[in-house]
Amino acid sequence: MINGNLKATYAADERINNNAYKTAFVWGFAALAALFPFVANDYLILIACQYGIMVVAVVGVNVLTGYTGLISLGHGGFVAIGAYGVTIIHAGLTALSVPAGLQPFIAIPAAMALAAGIGLLVGLPSLRVKGVYLAVATLSASFIIIFLIELDALAPFTGGKNGLTTADPSFFGWVLDTQREVYALIAACAFATVLLVQNLFRTRVGRAFIAIRERDYSAEILGVSLLRYKLTSFAISAACCGLAGALFAYFYARVLPEQFELLLSLQLVAALVVGGMGRTMGPVFGALVIVLAPEFLKLTLGALMGSTVEAAQIRAPLQEIFFGALIIGFIMFEPLGIAQISDRVFRALNRWPFARG
Amino acid sequence: MLRVEDVHLSFGGVKALQGVSFEAAKGEITGVIGPNGAGKTSLFNVLSGFYTPSTGRVIVDGQDISGLKPNARAELGMARTFQNIALFRGMSVLDNIKLGCHTRLNTNLWSALRYFGSAQKEELELRADLEERIIDFLEIDHIRKAPITALPYGLQKRVELARALAMQPKLLMLDEPVAGMNREETADMARFILDVQEKFGTTVLLVEHDMHMVMDICSRIVVLNFGQQIAQGTPDEIANNSAVVDAYLGQAA
Amino acid sequence: MGQVFQFAINGLMSGAIYALIALGIVAVYKATRVVNFAHGYVIMMGAYFYYTFAVLLPASDWFPDLTYAPDWLATAKAEAPMFSPAAAYLSWLENLPRIAFGLIAAIIAASLLARVIERFFMRPLLGQSQFAMIMITVGLISVLSGVKSMIWTGDAASVPYLAPNPAIRFEVFGSPVFIFGANLASMVIAIAIFGAIVLWLRRSAAGVAMRAASEDQSTAYSMGISVPQVFARAWVLAAATGAVAGAILAARDGISPSLGLFGFSVLAIVLMGGLDSFVGVFIAAMCVGVLEALVQWQLGGDWVEVTPYIAVLIVILIRPHGLMGSEEVERI
Repeated sequence: MINGNLKATYAADERINNNAYKTAFVWGFAALAALFPFVANDYLILIACQYGIMVVAVVGVNVLTGYTGLISLGHGGFVAIGAYGVTIIHAGLTALSVPAGLQPFIAIPAAMALAAGIGLLVGLPSLRVKGVYLAVATLSASFIIIFLIELDALAPFTGGKNGLTTADPSFFGWVLDTQREVYALIAACAFATVLLVQNLFRTRVGRAFIAIRERDYSAEILGVSLLRYKLTSFAISAACCGLAGALFAYFYARVLPEQFELLLSLQLVAALVVGGMGRTMGPVFGALVIVLAPEFLKLTLGALMGSTVEAAQIRAPLQEIFFGALIIGFIMFEPLGIAQISDRVFRALNRWPFARG
Repeated sequence: MLRVEDVHLSFGGVKALQGVSFEAAKGEITGVIGPNGAGKTSLFNVLSGFYTPSTGRVIVDGQDISGLKPNARAELGMARTFQNIALFRGMSVLDNIKLGCHTRLNTNLWSALRYFGSAQKEELELRADLEERIIDFLEIDHIRKAPITALPYGLQKRVELARALAMQPKLLMLDEPVAGMNREETADMARFILDVQEKFGTTVLLVEHDMHMVMDICSRIVVLNFGQQIAQGTPDEIANNSAVVDAYLGQAA
Repeated sequence: MGQVFQFAINGLMSGAIYALIALGIVAVYKATRVVNFAHGYVIMMGAYFYYTFAVLLPASDWFPDLTYAPDWLATAKAEAPMFSPAAAYLSWLENLPRIAFGLIAAIIAASLLARVIERFFMRPLLGQSQFAMIMITVGLISVLSGVKSMIWTGDAASVPYLAPNPAIRFEVFGSPVFIFGANLASMVIAIAIFGAIVLWLRRSAAGVAMRAASEDQSTAYSMGISVPQVFARAWVLAAATGAVAGAILAARDGISPSLGLFGFSVLAIVLMGGLDSFVGVFIAAMCVGVLEALVQWQLGGDWVEVTPYIAVLIVILIRPHGLMGSEEVERI
């Protein structure tokens, strides 16, 4: 038996980093993220922040679609709720003259709770219908959310099509008014989200989600309440997307309704499929690909065509085709995503030089 | 322990069960037999709460559970296995078995998010308990990390039994536990079922086609045919019951 | 009262087009058990094909003009007063070759597109999980939308109506009712195609093969039904009807990328009616058409775009499998 994975205690066997290379990878990643703001230029900070926000949102989609098996095509709507929620709550807190240094501590959880609450509402159909019906229900919900945000009657609150400006968050007086400072917040949140959600899947809660994905009636027979766990999954998922939205609003300091439309929902799904559904590292890898893809395209087009008008014109459509092709390609050739590829690599490293593959 | 009272079930015009009544005594193995399409699995689905009978009651430990959802029945200590294995194919053997313990654990969402602390303690205790009580007992220690899809049929059936046992059920319902198994595997499974009954004092309800096994291990047998209950009694009584012989061999012309 | 009638008939006219689009989604679902999330984008492609063959090509230097302009038509046209029914008929007659060529070419092009999608993206996944196939159609949304913007960079444009477009005015209960002839004709075309195809699927051997394949692919395959062929047929059927619907929509609303989004509201309608029931979907399409017209009348045009989505959420909560969809009995 080749395993390279010998353990003396159950505690050791239950560890997640059950392999020295994985441990090294995680700590290396953390060290890189911590040193990053001191060495990177503004462009790299921008990319890293987009990446961090994307990771948080995709983790949310992963909980629902990857682990619980409920397809959602409307998570852009929850991101919108987080972004608008945090912006509007900030305005409200200022009106109530809450000290600025405390505002984010109220606004972020409140925006997440708001997203989770609406997630519960949207999740209600999941109790009665599965699969496609749910995908359409979430899609419909996201269209309705964007519609309400753009609605003239609500424009005094949401800014309508013109959007809103978000205040710079201040943590006990430390005002995050540069992107480099917001990076710290985003990186911390991204790490925390990935870790906390990973923890879920070491316990009965996460196992229940997976069981529902695999065979819901069997899960029910074993005592998993479908009602409770499906809704919990929806709430967690929406809360993560709400957090992503809040970070988004802080980072860009401006929210516009069209940023959260179908394209965002599709990007989230694409990131998940590419990274690996139902895997901890799925969102981490997938978001990286989705964030880097446009930059990569920009560079390639720039090299091939120079900065011509044509190059600028075909960039957006090319990007769209590329996202679609990523989903299709991974579903057809590596349905378990990059997480599966990385697993193979880690396994091979661990066994080397005794076995390969 | 389990009492079924005059259960009727129909799908549109098809009458799947017509007046089934029997009792399964505590700590004993009760067999349900009958030709294909007799309504055995339908009966199980009524017992575990998938189908709602049109009339009749199901009583466990004196409590009427007819209106309860499947997951609420699990919390009362009813476990079952399925005719065509219903394991979670994307999970490892160990995770499947752990899921069987769902109702016994207390970790809530917040402690699960933290993990370190109460959740970790509970998980490690669970792991130790499962290893000793289930995995060792059913001799599946060599496959605990294997994905379900990699296992042969007989082992999958055994894992399903393990998952049901993990719940520490009071009532264990086995739907054709040895269907499609060879003699050796059947003998193994029969031994496991007897061991379960002896060691944990579990009440077992068993649907099976393998007549030898049923006659050997059951203390009481209920016979169904076309949704009707045509006999019940000890294995000897059933073997000599003319209605049962007719149902299985066809009526003499 | 007359106003109600006006909005009801407007609603029925757009409902019929919804039904025609929905037909494609239901047909693909019935044959392959895949809900095609990209159907709206297939329709968008159909509309752009029609635009290319009926407008762009005839306008180019090297391609025949494709107008029917004998002398008598020119004189008659010159004599007919502006906006009169006669003028509408004559201008339709003049454009007829372009319309016919555009429509036929669009149907062929859309069918080819469907074959490509089916052959290269769907068939390799035959026998895989539905989830995978649905995700592929989700990927197609993005691909088709990008391909469209690569090829057709122009802004919104108008295309000729399939049918003559005289204004029809009459009175009901003393208030005037006003209908565009082309919309009325489109409704008739849509309902006729819908009815013909549903009948064909019920009666013909191909229809039976399709139903068998949807029940159980592997069994149907082993009984000698060519499942890949059934899949291909369903996709071509969906794309061809989609091209007609796309042409109708493009003439009515102008040609623009938002045609793709239109597909999502039809998806909502399909679920409302019940994924596998042609009758249910037809009823749902008509209901939503009328509902939209009423919403437009009472709440204003803004609300129309979310009407189907709100309606589907309500219907799913009350009847999870749609108005007439069959509930799957879970076998354990």
